[in-house]
Amino acid sequence: MPEKRIVLENCGVIDPSDINTYLSRDGFKALEKARKHMTPQQVINEVKRSGLRGRGGAGFPTGLKWELCTKSPEKERFVICNADEGEVGTFKDRYIIQNDPFGIIEGIALAGYAIGASKGYIYLRAEYHYLRDLLENAIEQAKTKGFLGEKNNESFGIEVREGAGAYVCGEETALMESIEGKRGEARYRPPFPPEHGLWQKPTSINNVETLANIPHIIFRGAEWFSQIGTQQSKGTKVFSVSGDVEKPGIYELPMGTPLRELVEELAQAKDLKAAQVGGASGRLIPEEKLDTPLAFETVLGAGAVIVFSKGRNIIQVVRRNIEFFAEESCGKCVPCREGTQVMSDILRRFSLGQGTKEDLTILEELSNAMMLASLCGLGQAAPNSVSDSLLYFRSEYDT
Amino acid sequence: MITIKLNGSNVEARRGMTILDLCKEKGISIPTLCYHPQLTPTGACRLCVVEVEGARTLVASCHTPVAPGMTIQTHSPKVIQTRKMIVELLLSAHPDFCPVCNKANVCELRMIAADLGVGLPRFRTKKRYYPIEDDNPYIIRDLSKCVLCFRCVKACREVKMANVYSVGYRGHSSKIIVDNDQPLNKEVCRQCDVCVLFCPVGALVLREERFRKISRKPFIIKG
Repeated sequence: MPEKRIVLENCGVIDPSDINTYLSRDGFKALEKARKHMTPQQVINEVKRSGLRGRGGAGFPTGLKWELCTKSPEKERFVICNADEGEVGTFKDRYIIQNDPFGIIEGIALAGYAIGASKGYIYLRAEYHYLRDLLENAIEQAKTKGFLGEKNNESFGIEVREGAGAYVCGEETALMESIEGKRGEARYRPPFPPEHGLWQKPTSINNVETLANIPHIIFRGAEWFSQIGTQQSKGTKVFSVSGDVEKPGIYELPMGTPLRELVEELAQAKDLKAAQVGGASGRLIPEEKLDTPLAFETVLGAGAVIVFSKGRNIIQVVRRNIEFFAEESCGKCVPCREGTQVMSDILRRFSLGQGTKEDLTILEELSNAMMLASLCGLGQAAPNSVSDSLLYFRSEYDT
Repeated sequence: MITIKLNGSNVEARRGMTILDLCKEKGISIPTLCYHPQLTPTGACRLCVVEVEGARTLVASCHTPVAPGMTIQTHSPKVIQTRKMIVELLLSAHPDFCPVCNKANVCELRMIAADLGVGLPRFRTKKRYYPIEDDNPYIIRDLSKCVLCFRCVKACREVKMANVYSVGYRGHSSKIIVDNDQPLNKEVCRQCDVCVLFCPVGALVLREERFRKISRKPFIIKG
């Protein structure tokens, strides 16, 4: 399957600092269509029928999330665009923001219209500070053209908020705590954000890429969108490929494309040993399983693909991942706070060749406990690479 | 009233109660550390996890409300093994000077460890050693023993409504701090021992009790 550009359609074609170039490519037509000819419920139904699922990694159906927001009796609701792209090896959101900020703004405005939100937030990670001016300029231009703000009886505004550089703030509840001005710590769920989110109000929080898909779905219809992709994963996915490849970068492919096609044909990896799909918290796929299709049914994550060639030591790779999580754990729940620390100690021993058989048992038990008992997605996903390396690369742990 | 399957038998539960409340009513004991009946749930220690059919992970019973048609297992092998691992993790980061700790006989962490049959942890990790803070005329803080259950933070906020404590740093070096990590010596703490009463371990003790045997009933290890 060749590349198919939906989200990245306007990237590199329009001028991100000039709204007129976006308007000339059917920009904001979807928003006009929705506001003039569709009720909010119709917009939600359209997104539901399209089968769009969250692109941040968890794959929650977007239409369902919006519907849950509207079910709440609270009248004040919020939309958040999660641009805290902290996952190791992802840079797709940055690319979208840099090249097509208007598409995201239109997506947020549509989400706001659908759930009846009064305000939208874009939570930008601290490292993307240099994109703030670009985003705010785009919001200002959309305002002057009347797509946001007081016109059309719609008082919907978008505010850009910046993080302070914590990985855990990409997690939805920690992100909300951060916007509220508190310490970035995950909240327990239930209640889920569509019920009690930002300031305990119903909140829909979506990834940049999810929101960038919305205008295309509304403009061209759910039928067109649902024809692309697999049974349970519709549409396309933007991948950021890095590591030991000839052509690293951003690739947009229909869901269900085999991993081999992405890393060997498009990115031209040679002598491949393993690929980690989904960043540091993603699954480790060995060479022999490279024909796995990339979809929510199998393996996807946030779309980061890190390629490791034959010369790489898997234990070093895993150790680096776990050290990252030990550094970025918020310190609230025990399995994540202490578990990542114990794991990085054990992996350090293995990388020095001092690991024992008992260490292996502990490593296995510990990854199980962390996956089952951690409070948020960080701790639950942190041992993924450890358990996969124990499954596929056990010989490297030779004791 | 809603019907729930708890450990194989159908039980009635009220809407809005947590799984832990239900288990307490039915006489099923679930270990808890960060949970305290007088405080809002934190969900930090993860010791009270139970298995709910259909859930991707184990859920913490202290903050998960019951839902109609839930099937709950409170003591399945998976749950027990996870709880044991969590206790081991807590112990590995906790200093081993129990014999000279004046909460030794009333320590909740020791009690939970004994209940679950966890002895010395199989692995060692960095311990958080801090100097003892005795600036305060009433309370002595020994943060090396702190298990970061956040009960003192919540008690100070919700019971005393003083907001003296907060959480600082992150990950393994998280610490309960006062202001910008100053020693605890506040006028608002005068003759207040709320946080001491809520501390499950020996991290917070009254000055007058520090070198005295506590005349509380020693714990009894349940079979």
